[in-house]
Amino acid sequence: MGHVKLEGVRLIAGERTLLDAVSFEALPGELIAIVGPNGAGKTTLLRALAGFFAPAAGDIWLDGIAVRALTARQRARAVTLIGSDVEEPHGTSVREVVATGRFSYRPWWDWSETPEDFAAAGLALARVGMEEFAERPFETLSSGERQRVWLALALAQDARLVLLDEPTSHLDPRHALDMLCLMRGIASSPVSSFVVLHDLNEAAAVADRIAVLGEGRLLRFAPPDDALDPQILERAFGIAFDRVTAGGAIRVIPRGYRPAVPPLARGT
Amino acid sequence: MFDPRTLRYAATYAALVAATAAALLIGLFFGGSALSPADVLWALAHPHAANDASAIVWTLRLPRVAIGAFVGVALAISGMLLQGLLRNPLVDPFLTGVSAGAGAAIALSIAAGIAAPFVPGLGFAAGLATAFLVAALARRGTGIDAERLILAGVSLTALFSSIVALVLLRLGRTAVGQILAWLTGSLAARGWSDLAYAAPYGIAGLVLALLAAPSLNALRLGPGVARAVGVDVARTQWLVLGGATLLAASAVTLAGVVGFVGLIVPHLARRIVGTDARGTLAASALIGAALVPLADALARSLAPPTEIPLGVLLAFIGVPTFLYLYLRPTNATRLWGT
Repeated sequence: MGHVKLEGVRLIAGERTLLDAVSFEALPGELIAIVGPNGAGKTTLLRALAGFFAPAAGDIWLDGIAVRALTARQRARAVTLIGSDVEEPHGTSVREVVATGRFSYRPWWDWSETPEDFAAAGLALARVGMEEFAERPFETLSSGERQRVWLALALAQDARLVLLDEPTSHLDPRHALDMLCLMRGIASSPVSSFVVLHDLNEAAAVADRIAVLGEGRLLRFAPPDDALDPQILERAFGIAFDRVTAGGAIRVIPRGYRPAVPPLARGT
Repeated sequence: MFDPRTLRYAATYAALVAATAAALLIGLFFGGSALSPADVLWALAHPHAANDASAIVWTLRLPRVAIGAFVGVALAISGMLLQGLLRNPLVDPFLTGVSAGAGAAIALSIAAGIAAPFVPGLGFAAGLATAFLVAALARRGTGIDAERLILAGVSLTALFSSIVALVLLRLGRTAVGQILAWLTGSLAARGWSDLAYAAPYGIAGLVLALLAAPSLNALRLGPGVARAVGVDVARTQWLVLGGATLLAASAVTLAGVVGFVGLIVPHLARRIVGTDARGTLAASALIGAALVPLADALARSLAPPTEIPLGVLLAFIGVPTFLYLYLRPTNATRLWGT
């Protein structure tokens, strides 16, 4: 369960080949971080894993079934993706937002959620520590709380592959850490998780393995220690990195910060 | 045993149903001939009585109120569907060019001297054809692109409106009056048979709307989330577009261009019941069914024997209400919110 396999996947956006020859396997319960420069195809890869975007070549398998062969309903019960394109509903309680995750558990024309749907929504909220917020209007939540609600929606879906696109991007360090801990807790058999992260150190802290994208392909797919190799990172991002170990964890730091515009001369 | 949320919802909808029933009754009390409310109620209870009151209520007032309610429901749901699909609060049922296409066809057929009974049917067909053309232009992949839809709708509406303007400039007074009456909306001189022609299309549109509502509800959270939870976005787009077009076309065929209902009623509904698409649909239908017959009663009785055009009256009442509700400097409520 939650076993993902990619074979020779090529992703094309318009005329441009974003990624080619991507092959890897993720085991059930693994948390995989996807890192790489802007435009490397991280989000597109996530969308392909979710079955939203068809690869131009190759195949994506989830537990031995080709993702492209799934119907919208089967797909939603197997995979979920929370991206950055979420829209915030007004005049809706947190519980109702999370219950939307149960859409694929009833016929698409059916108007009413069942008590089981609301129970699943309640359970999902409890898992992200938001059960007291169930009746609160969504718009009264902070960014960190909203991000947890989106995660709860994904959990209410009971999918075995959870895909998250930059879940920590607008969060302060404390809330980002909370989010990372939640993600770590969720990724355990039978649920696997892929997370796009911009912060390499966040990836190092939580991921079982890291997929480094760059130069139009998968540069490395390995545990953090191996994946965050300064040479690989330099190829991916085009800048040099220093690697240190602090508090028992790997840290990679961009080297050579140099302001493009000289600071204004003071006290003229 | 009932949780307070359920009770509050039930109370809200009960109040809406009661208000709509009262509005329909008030609509029946107004008319050209002097009938007391008691006469009207007596006539309602005795449909086959052979007196004037019964005849007036059953052949003049009731069909007029019923058509008003039908038009109100159709336009309100049509507007709610399109606002929900495009997630744009400024969209109205005529976005797809339904009214402009119908208007051009009706103006041209009146100018060409086509017999009156055929004119609404021609308008209906032209309205549907225009919406179909707009949808075809907006197609991308298996679904519809929201921006292309708005652009195509606005462009074709402009084109057909100019055709109407051209016809108006070239025509004699009588024909101009006929066309203008149609362009400003009216429930005058309509009867049960007109309703019987339009109703099947309206009901078909309503069925599509009911089918689309759960998907539309998920779509509130953005197309990405909707897809992730298993919504077939393309299917939802076609259901909504088909439903909204059938509803708007049947309303336009019955009452001409009754503006503002389809824009403002979904906003009122969201204010009262929140943004859940299923709740908004039900509340929009109830408010629409109340608003149009009430406005029509006013249109008939403000300056008898002339009738103020329904569309004009609705704009006179609706625009200040809308501006008051949403654009008060002290009001921080967002247009797309509650």
